[in-house]
Amino acid sequence: MRHIQRTLVLPFLVVGLVSLVLPGWGQESVPRARLPVLTTSAGQSADVNTLNVIMDQAGMKYDYCDVPTAAVVKSGVGLGGAKARAGFHVEVTTDVSRFKPGTPYQTVVFAVGASLKGMGASGLTVDAEVKRVSEIIQYCRQNKIMVIAVHPGGQSKRGAPGSDNERMIDAVMPFADYIIAAKDGNKDGRFTKIAKEKSIPFSQVDYALGIVGLMKKAFE
Amino acid sequence: MLHRRGFWMAASLIGIVCLLSIQPSFPQKCEVRYPGLAACPNEHCTVVMVGKKASTDGSVISTHTSDCGSCDWTWRYVPAADHDQGATRRIYYFDQFGTDPPRKGLRWDAIEDNFTGFEIPEVSHTYGYLHGMFGYMNDNQVALGESTIGCREQMENSTSAPKFDITMLTLIAMERAKTAREAIQLMGDLAVKYGYGHTDSGEMLSVSDPNEVWIFEVMPVGPLWTPDSGQPGAVWCAQRVPDDHVSVCPNESRIGEIDLKNKDYFMASPNVVSFAVEQKFYDPKSGKPFNWKRAYCPSEYSAQSSFGSRGRLWRFMDLVAPSKQFSPGTPNMDLPFSIRPEKKLSVADVMVILRDKYDGTPFYTARGLQGGPFENPNLLPYGFELDGKKYDTGRCIGVNRAEYVTVTQSRDWLPDPIGGIVWIGFGAQDTHCLMPFYQGVTRIPESFEFGDHWEFDRRSARWAFDYVDFHTQVVYSYAIKDVRKAQEKWEKAAIDRTPEIDAYALQLYKKSPDQARQYLTDYCNNNANLVVNAWWSLGDELMVKYMHFWYYDIRERKREPLKYPEWWLREVVRYNQLSPQPETKK
Repeated sequence: MRHIQRTLVLPFLVVGLVSLVLPGWGQESVPRARLPVLTTSAGQSADVNTLNVIMDQAGMKYDYCDVPTAAVVKSGVGLGGAKARAGFHVEVTTDVSRFKPGTPYQTVVFAVGASLKGMGASGLTVDAEVKRVSEIIQYCRQNKIMVIAVHPGGQSKRGAPGSDNERMIDAVMPFADYIIAAKDGNKDGRFTKIAKEKSIPFSQVDYALGIVGLMKKAFE
Repeated sequence: MLHRRGFWMAASLIGIVCLLSIQPSFPQKCEVRYPGLAACPNEHCTVVMVGKKASTDGSVISTHTSDCGSCDWTWRYVPAADHDQGATRRIYYFDQFGTDPPRKGLRWDAIEDNFTGFEIPEVSHTYGYLHGMFGYMNDNQVALGESTIGCREQMENSTSAPKFDITMLTLIAMERAKTAREAIQLMGDLAVKYGYGHTDSGEMLSVSDPNEVWIFEVMPVGPLWTPDSGQPGAVWCAQRVPDDHVSVCPNESRIGEIDLKNKDYFMASPNVVSFAVEQKFYDPKSGKPFNWKRAYCPSEYSAQSSFGSRGRLWRFMDLVAPSKQFSPGTPNMDLPFSIRPEKKLSVADVMVILRDKYDGTPFYTARGLQGGPFENPNLLPYGFELDGKKYDTGRCIGVNRAEYVTVTQSRDWLPDPIGGIVWIGFGAQDTHCLMPFYQGVTRIPESFEFGDHWEFDRRSARWAFDYVDFHTQVVYSYAIKDVRKAQEKWEKAAIDRTPEIDAYALQLYKKSPDQARQYLTDYCNNNANLVVNAWWSLGDELMVKYMHFWYYDIRERKREPLKYPEWWLREVVRYNQLSPQPETKK
């Protein structure tokens, strides 16, 4: 009886424990991020929509702007009262009773992925987008604002060296404080390599849903 | 003993909890972040549909204006094939907006690069079909047209979790469907089972066969869907256009209230209502019936409120049923799903509608200054931005960014190879020429198979039409008359010749279906090659004829200056503050 009990239960225990460990294999632990947080896009693809849905699902309150400048980021919570207009989307959900308008952001999360259509809608060229993103990252580094780079789009948001997608990755990933990528987009180990070379904590997920838990953990 | 049992029980519990933690469940609730707003595209394709009792000859007609401006335009013929038991069908991602330089080879040969890594069981026999950006018509006269309709932003799923996009769904439908209903069910089931989205958001397809035409709309279910969640990976709905009606889809969801008990007119995924309730897009307690488009793709525009940028729906209704006097101020969502046309439509009538530029309405795209001195309706097709404000200029059905246009005819009184026709026209409707390809063709011209927007190539059929289009724009009001003459000569002639071709092909078919196929292949390819050559010549002629804004009479070898309209000359005087020349004394 005891034998049967062990035979039945032991696999459960082993598989269960392994399942806890597996997602962390070859990965850094999730670094701690602080509020208030701004979500934005590097490349103007629909991946920023994915990012915002993830944040919603994680129960996060955040500000969102698809094409902020460094000056807009500098204006902090509420984005300086910037109004949404064609090609410039703004949404403020940060709890202003906790963080007054103007409170500097502690974290900026980029959804990395290029879309010519999206950039066109915002009146941007690839060069202009790289410049804009680089200026924000420079501002974040100077002001110790954590940068999280999320690449949820998978293989379709990758490309040949020098392609729009790779340029966005080059503009953001090596300067991030935390990289999260869907496994499908890391088949060639590009993100793993960047993370290793730059000693950046890195998490890989099977699906975008996996990022919800990581965000919860980072901001808990 | 108790101690040990307690340990094992605790261990089991930990194990189960850990296992459960591997895959969080699919979220059932999600806040509505953009209430009332949907990612509604307005730059893309228009689909016109005609039921068999609404057409002059009994054809079921559907169209697709592949409006883009930078997308792929190449075509291929995919032959029918038999497959071994246990064979699999590879699934690929197709970015509608993707295009490769021709030096990479034929687009569809390079598609292996986009293999999703996912395969489904193959069927024993796949039907042949004509393939452009989507599948268009197969061996059973099942035909498709496409229009991107968008969806609520939080429904989009641009991750690689969904394995199907709209292009791949159309290809599978072409390969496997015998009827429109089969195609709808097949596409819907695949989307639900394996997930739908990737680079596509909400999409509409017209799905027709020789008996009927349906509107099929499919949408993703958000970026957090996973294949192993056990939840549907898409939500879809389909409504049949009554046989004596016509309908249109101009990048807007068209299906409103649904009655799933009426199976002859409605089909849907099992989650069609429940997903909307879960996502708070629809409240069953509101007392209002479920409305598909208001739940998943709401938009509150009218032709008037959008200054014509969303006027195609109103325009179509007004063209086919003028006595109804639809107001351009009526919100598009309140315009009917379909309508009985006051005059039955021929395939030629449909082609005219596809070329519409809002003539005679306040949204006419060559109105006043917008068209310039030569009344060019194509000068500001995207509107413009000035002093930080954006202006709409009217988005007509015949906008000048079509990669190609299709008009399909499915005809139940003829065998499939003769009954089905796909009319293909490359480039903008006002300057192109629609060429017939019977379903029975076994090849298409090589010039249809390659080319792109960035490398001019005289071997590519599309460039012949762009060549004419380019030379037409300069002096539109003059040059378009030459183009219309050419369309009369080639396109109208092909339409007029159809009964004769049908009859001869039928005669052959009765003796040998293969002979009929060969005849139709030769006829369609020869006609297309002649048209392409004629368009190259027309482009040459236009360049000579209107050189330097003069009119060069080629026959008489004389020239005279083109006349500019007085209203435009007055504007030049006013804006440039010109003074008249001093009068000379006699």
